[in-house]
Amino acid sequence: MRFVTSLTILALLFATSCSKVQVPTAEVNVAQVKEVTLDPNAAVWDAVSLHTSKMILQDLVEPRLLEPSTSEVMVKAITNGSEMAFRLEWMDESQSDMPGPRHFIDGCAVQIPSKIDPNVPAPQMGEIGKTVEISYWRADWQAIVEGRADNINAIYPNASIDHYPAEAKPLENNPQAQAETAARYSPARALGSRRSGPREQPVEDLIAEGPSTLSPAPNAVSKGKGVKTAKGWAVVISRPMPAGFSASSPSQIAFAVWEGSHIEVGARKMRTGWVPLILK
Amino acid sequence: MARVNNWQLGREMSYWYPESRPQKQFAAVFDTNKCIACQTCTLACKTTWTSGKGQEYMLWNNVESKPYGSYPLAWDLNLLSLLDGQNWGEENGQPVYKGSTIFESAPAGERVLGWRPESEDYAYPNVGEDDCAGGIEHGASMEVPHAMSWFYYLARICNHCTYPGCLASCPRGSIYKRPDDGIVLVDQGRCRGYQECVRGCPYKKVFFNPMTSTSEKCIACFPKIEQGISPQCFENCIGKIRVAGFINTPDKAEADNPIDYLVHIKKVALPLFPQFGLEPNVYYIPPIHVPAAFTRQMFGPGTDRAVEIYRNAPNDPDLTSLLGLFGSTERIVRKWKRVGDKAIGMDENGQELVNVPFKEPIHIRPAYDKLYQITRTNCP
Repeated sequence: MRFVTSLTILALLFATSCSKVQVPTAEVNVAQVKEVTLDPNAAVWDAVSLHTSKMILQDLVEPRLLEPSTSEVMVKAITNGSEMAFRLEWMDESQSDMPGPRHFIDGCAVQIPSKIDPNVPAPQMGEIGKTVEISYWRADWQAIVEGRADNINAIYPNASIDHYPAEAKPLENNPQAQAETAARYSPARALGSRRSGPREQPVEDLIAEGPSTLSPAPNAVSKGKGVKTAKGWAVVISRPMPAGFSASSPSQIAFAVWEGSHIEVGARKMRTGWVPLILK
Repeated sequence: MARVNNWQLGREMSYWYPESRPQKQFAAVFDTNKCIACQTCTLACKTTWTSGKGQEYMLWNNVESKPYGSYPLAWDLNLLSLLDGQNWGEENGQPVYKGSTIFESAPAGERVLGWRPESEDYAYPNVGEDDCAGGIEHGASMEVPHAMSWFYYLARICNHCTYPGCLASCPRGSIYKRPDDGIVLVDQGRCRGYQECVRGCPYKKVFFNPMTSTSEKCIACFPKIEQGISPQCFENCIGKIRVAGFINTPDKAEADNPIDYLVHIKKVALPLFPQFGLEPNVYYIPPIHVPAAFTRQMFGPGTDRAVEIYRNAPNDPDLTSLLGLFGSTERIVRKWKRVGDKAIGMDENGQELVNVPFKEPIHIRPAYDKLYQITRTNCP
């Protein structure tokens, strides 16, 4: 009798736990919802099927990553018909969101072919004539978008700065002169590089046709939000629906994760191959 | 990797890209014996180029009190300790580097041998500046507490190398060498701030800007170079230790080119750590009072001879006259000649830019002034 009771309790426990654990799907199934959210903790994600991608080292082009870090990324996807959002979650106990010398930033990216074609581009950032679209989220941009000052004192609180020419007394009532002077000492911003700030989104839109070809996309269309979890990051990246993507016309998607504390930056990353992207 | 010729090594070496020399190569000679470490060069550069947000810690030009001073901290020692067997040999009477360069000793998965400075390594622009290396008890006179009773000043800018480590390190091709003057630049529109160039430059002359997520470096004041004017750190040098110009390869050396004369013909100016393999284009007249073991490691096997030639300059009117042209004009002296006791600096068309007497007239005043019937003293 005691044996039967134990079995019953075990069966109940098993059934209870199974109701919370999702069995990952082999593909990324995009659930259709009324509203796309950027909140990684929104309830809408609970009902969405889970895909888990094993990550592999980027060890094909120098500089290579030779020591693995992030082992897998958990992915969910939703769409409202025009926008598509991906929720990525991965383990990374350290929080790396302060830029600086030898300081690298936690981040993740989703990559989708620009055209739906059975002959897919190489998963390593596409290939010549087969462009991929990449939406790239970074933890430092997230912190800045949420209000952290974008200045040297945010990184080095005890830094003491004598003077910035753009903040000189004679310019204080002349915003245009201030901006022009600041641009003189910030060539990347003077060039209008979206990447170099000031930042409005923690996500950057990029295109590529193979390693070393990464370039800004013509338009900034992606959005995102990332939150630090107890053991890693949960990030939502949203972007417009890929051209031609529908229930009858699936696409592909690939993921990359950078663990800043592991000196992961640029090509030094964990990545996946292509995963089928299917509209449900 | 391609095979390229590095004349500073006396041999071919491996490099990430094929040999492609510019039409002209920007170059400079710094006379370490004349530097007084006033840091006017440092400030001239800082004020001109790196006074913006994110550039606070950057010193594209800096002056270090050797042997201890270094910026970032231990930039030289860290790489020297990574690079094995820096031995020089000789073939046909010419020095040949027998060790490995940073390109030839790149670890698996890397483009070059390098290391990454920490934030703290930039916190001390010149550690030990003019300090003795130990505490001095109250009331004690200063005694140098170590055997090295010497120091000297090493002014540094980007070397605008023929084979830049930064350029080889960048996986995106964001760094380029201008074909017209060999100046090495970071494309601020293309750079994504991976800091691979910071890792790969053995001289640590590329700096990461955390505000723009790009890396920045000395641009050799190219807007001035394009007008035939020396960079800010040259023009503002109080000690007149620097001369800017363009260098040819040794087989095409021209005696009336100031840089060629000092580097190739007199061989009095030497590259900084040639064993790294970058063919750097800032050349140094080595300090004449420093133990040779130290300067040989820093400037290569030509050091002893360069010191000997420099010491003999008072007996060498040509060399003396050319040294007198250093800092004599803001214009870049493309050609020079000595006429009697004068050095003439010219532009590329042979038009005179400046002429400098290199022997000051000497006036001897007798100790006793007969006119005023008074004995002079040296007191002011």
